[in-house]
Order: sequence, then C-alpha cells, then structure tokens
Amino acid sequence: MRGADVSEYVVRFSVWARVQHAAVIALFALLLLTGMPQKWPYVEASRWIIEHLGGIFVVRWLHRAAGVAFSVLLVVHVAVAIGGVLSRRTRPSMLLSVRDFRDAVDFLRYCLGWAEAPPRFGRFDYRQKFEYWGLVFGGFVMALTGFILYFPIAVSRVLPAELIPAAKVMHSYEALLAFLIILVWHLFAVLLSPEAFPIDTSIFTGKIRKERLRHEHALEYEELVGRE
Amino acid sequence: MRRRRSVVGGRHAIVQLLIVGLLAGGALAQKAPEKLRDSVAACLACHDDKQLSVQLRDGATMSLHVDPQGFLHSVHGSQLVCTDCHARYEENHPSGATFPSRRAYAIASYETCKKCHFDTYTRTLESVHYELLKNGLDSAPICTDCHGAHNIQNPHEKRAMVSRSCASCHDGVYLRYAKSVHGKALEEGGNQDVPACADCHTHHQIQAPGTTQFRLGSPQICIRCHGDRQLMAKYGISATVAQTYLSDFHGVTASLAGGGALLPQQVVVTCIDCHGVHDIASPRLMGGEAMKASVAATCAKCHEGASPAFPAAWLSHYEPSLRHAPLVFFVQLFYKVFIPFVVIGLVLQVLLHLYRVSLGR
Repeated sequence: MRGADVSEYVVRFSVWARVQHAAVIALFALLLLTGMPQKWPYVEASRWIIEHLGGIFVVRWLHRAAGVAFSVLLVVHVAVAIGGVLSRRTRPSMLLSVRDFRDAVDFLRYCLGWAEAPPRFGRFDYRQKFEYWGLVFGGFVMALTGFILYFPIAVSRVLPAELIPAAKVMHSYEALLAFLIILVWHLFAVLLSPEAFPIDTSIFTGKIRKERLRHEHALEYEELVGRE
Repeated sequence: MRRRRSVVGGRHAIVQLLIVGLLAGGALAQKAPEKLRDSVAACLACHDDKQLSVQLRDGATMSLHVDPQGFLHSVHGSQLVCTDCHARYEENHPSGATFPSRRAYAIASYETCKKCHFDTYTRTLESVHYELLKNGLDSAPICTDCHGAHNIQNPHEKRAMVSRSCASCHDGVYLRYAKSVHGKALEEGGNQDVPACADCHTHHQIQAPGTTQFRLGSPQICIRCHGDRQLMAKYGISATVAQTYLSDFHGVTASLAGGGALLPQQVVVTCIDCHGVHDIASPRLMGGEAMKASVAATCAKCHEGASPAFPAAWLSHYEPSLRHAPLVFFVQLFYKVFIPFVVIGLVLQVLLHLYRVSLGR
C-alpha cells in the first residue's frame, strides 16, 4: 500500500549526520544569541537580550559552554569522517576537486544564459561543499580563537600576547561572516530557492525524493539506479 | 550761537542727571551696609571681645568672639546681619541659656542655613554624612564644618579650600590625593581643571564610595573630563581612553554588570582598579620601563599567574593601528575587505540564480 510511496524516496542522510545537523543548529543559534550581543554591547536590543538571559555573567557562561560543546562536536565530526574514510565505510564525497570550481563557473554561465543546462552534480554540489568546508574551517577558527580568549594567561605564557586581542577581533568578525553566509547562502538554498521552497526537509527526515535526487544530484542518481 | 549753547545746555543736563543718578545710586548702595553695619555693630559691641565666652554643661568653655573683619569679608558680609542666622537672639539676649556641648550647639544651629539654601540642604539629607549624623555620630560633618560659619568664602572660587575641609576628617585620603597628579596640580599650581574632592564625590549628596553601585558608576566620573576632547587636548592627553575602555572586555563588563550586587567571582574592572583612586599617577611621567612593570603588576592583581608579557594582550587604550598592535590592525583590515567581498559575491549569485529561474527553464 505504501510501497509505491516509499520507493519514491532514497535515504540521503544517516542518523549521525542528522543528529549533527540538529546539534549545529542548536549550538549555532545559542552561540549567536549569546555572542552577538557581546559584539555590540551598546545596542539596545543586545542589552535587552543580555538582561533577559540573566545578565552578562550568565551570557558569557552560556557562550563558553556552547562553544566547548561546538568544539567537541567539531573534533568528533572530523575524527568520525576521517575514520570512516580510512576504514572505507564512507566515501569522501565532500572532498573538493577541480570539478567543483568548474561547476561553479558553469552554473554562473547557466544563470547568465550562456549555457543551456546547469552542470550535473554528484552527491554534493559545489555550493554544499563550499559551505561545508567553510563551516569546518570557520568552526576551527572560532574554536581556536575562542579558546585563546578563554585562557589568555596560559596562551600568553607560550605565544605573543598580542594574539589575544587579534583573536578577539578574528572571533568577532569570523562569527559575523559565518552568520551572513548562513543567512544569505544556506537559508536561501534550503528555504527560498525555487528547488527547495518552502523547505528542504531531507536533512531532518534523512530521505530525499528520487525525482529531486535525479534533478539535483544527477550523477549520484545515475550511480544509484544505473543509467536509464 | 544760541543753538550751540542749547546743545551745551543739553549736555549739562545729561551730566547733571548722571551725577544725581550716581549719587542716588551710591546712596542706595551705601544704605544697605550702613544699616547692616548698625545692626552688626550693635552685636559686635559685645561680641568683638576675645574674652567673651559661655560655660557649657560639659564643662567646656565656648568663645563667643566674632572677628568683625572675618565676617565683613565673608560671602555674607554685605548681605546678612547677625540675627538673620541667630534669630533667637533678637529678643531677651543674653538669656543666660547654655548648651550641653560645643558640638551640640553647632548641630542645633546649622539648620539655619536651610532658610536660604534649601535645595542644597535637602541634598545633604541623602548623603552618607547625614546618614551617619542621623545614626548618632555627632562628628559627622554639618554645613559649618566644611564652609565655616562667620568667615564663609565662595566655594567655587576657593576649590582647594573645600578639599582641605574634607581633609580635616579624611586626612589620610587627602594626603594621598595631594601627592597625586590631580592633587599636586591643584595644591601647587592652583589648577582649576583638575578634580578636587567634590568633583568626584559631589558636594552635598555624597554617597558611600565603597558600594558596588558607586564602583560601577565610577568610570562615568572619570569620563566627564577624560572624554572631553578639548580639555584633554589642553594637556596632550588622549580623549579616547574612555571609548577604548568601554569597547574593551573590562568596559563592556562594567557597563553591563550594573544594577544588582556582584558575586565574588563576578569581577568588574573599572578605571580605578588599574589607575588607583586618590593616588592616581601620570603614566607618562613614569617612564617606559617603569610603566611596563607597573602595568604587569596591575594585571597580575586579578589575572593570577600573568607573565610580564601578558600586558601586550591589552591595547593600552590605543585603537589598533600600524604602530600600535599591527597584528590586530591587519586582522581587522582583512575582515573589513573579506566580509563584503564574500557576502556581496553570494548575494549576486543568489540574484543571478533567481534571474535565471525567472527566465524559465
């Protein structure tokens, strides 16, 4: 009875991937909520948020706790990813290749009307890969600078102390960059873009409609079902 | 000729009028002191006697002598007569009444000031000094302790004098202040820009400085002068100290921590924690090496285990620039270019994508 419906879907994300994504949403939101008011402490809205979260000392505690959790998640994620690839249980489908840069150019050419069809993508398209590596790289920048700010005394014993204010500036701007990228790039891609509207649910349910897979990840689809 | 005379006559009339006016005005102006002198002289007939005194109930003797010159040259000398303040002696004087002690007399008498200085008097009721007086500490200061009684001077002209009156009780604090960069300028150079006691502690509504509330509000006191570009330029001092403090971790904490009481682990650093309070010294006069050592020692007061290199973690009230903290400057510059570059690029791509969709596939 539901057989026909079920066969329309294929599994796209493991439980582990979905849990990680949910955790990143929660931690990213909490870090933004407790971090941005510290970046602009004299804006009225910031002061309102800080006051209603229980004051600056509570806000800083929450920010550090969420930061530690995010850092742990990041390290575990990288360890699991490397472990999975080394043990040949997962494929390194997120690795960037020259093809991705060519895809980016081809997609822009398609948008400008210089190409008839968009490039055909594999398991992850170039936008998803760039965003993934942005998150991983940016995550390490945030974690590293965050810990420098968390333990300034220890850092200044082994490294030049000017790194501490530099880390503060970097932490603050990198956060703003991450926030803006998520806002204009990720949220557009998964909510507002014509392919996804009103919302791309595959990262929450773990499933993707075969039709969509064929359309958006043609190369993966062909590998899955064989050329038609 | 006639015409000319008439002009001269007109001039005469004006001059005459002026002279009459001046005489009349002079007479009026002189009338007040004359009357004052009469009334005051009547009192001074007895009270200009160095021997005149009264026996108090605690056994002490209170002199009743008033120095005529001291009163005449006081700020009230040309305006008030004795009975304006000592109203009860208008009749039946001397009555033979006495007081328990010299202090009891002063406390019983000082409220006469509020007849004219009512707003000032009400402000004192909210001060820590009145709180002490109310709780039975007789030595807590009343109007006359700081301003004097018969020889009151204009406190706006004699700032050092007001500060010295604080010293009569707070002598240790005043000695430290007098050696500070502010105190020296006031005491030795008569500088009118530097703060005297009352400029930070206020005049009449003086609050207890040991409270958290006072501490958290204290940067606002410093900023009043140290954020004043014109005033600081006069002494070659940077006026960005306030701004750099407020954008720094310490300043942000202080500005947000306000209100409730702080727990011991909730450390808030205000200007005074690094610069001191009454013993503020000019960092410029210390010399580079001494200053570095002093800053390191200051950081280590709170940052346990801070190395001598640690103060470089703080930008010394400077904005990052090529000269001061170049690394911070370059990180800042990088992001100021990189963020718009990335974000504008992404927005453009989103717009292009939508453009293509709008064309139809």
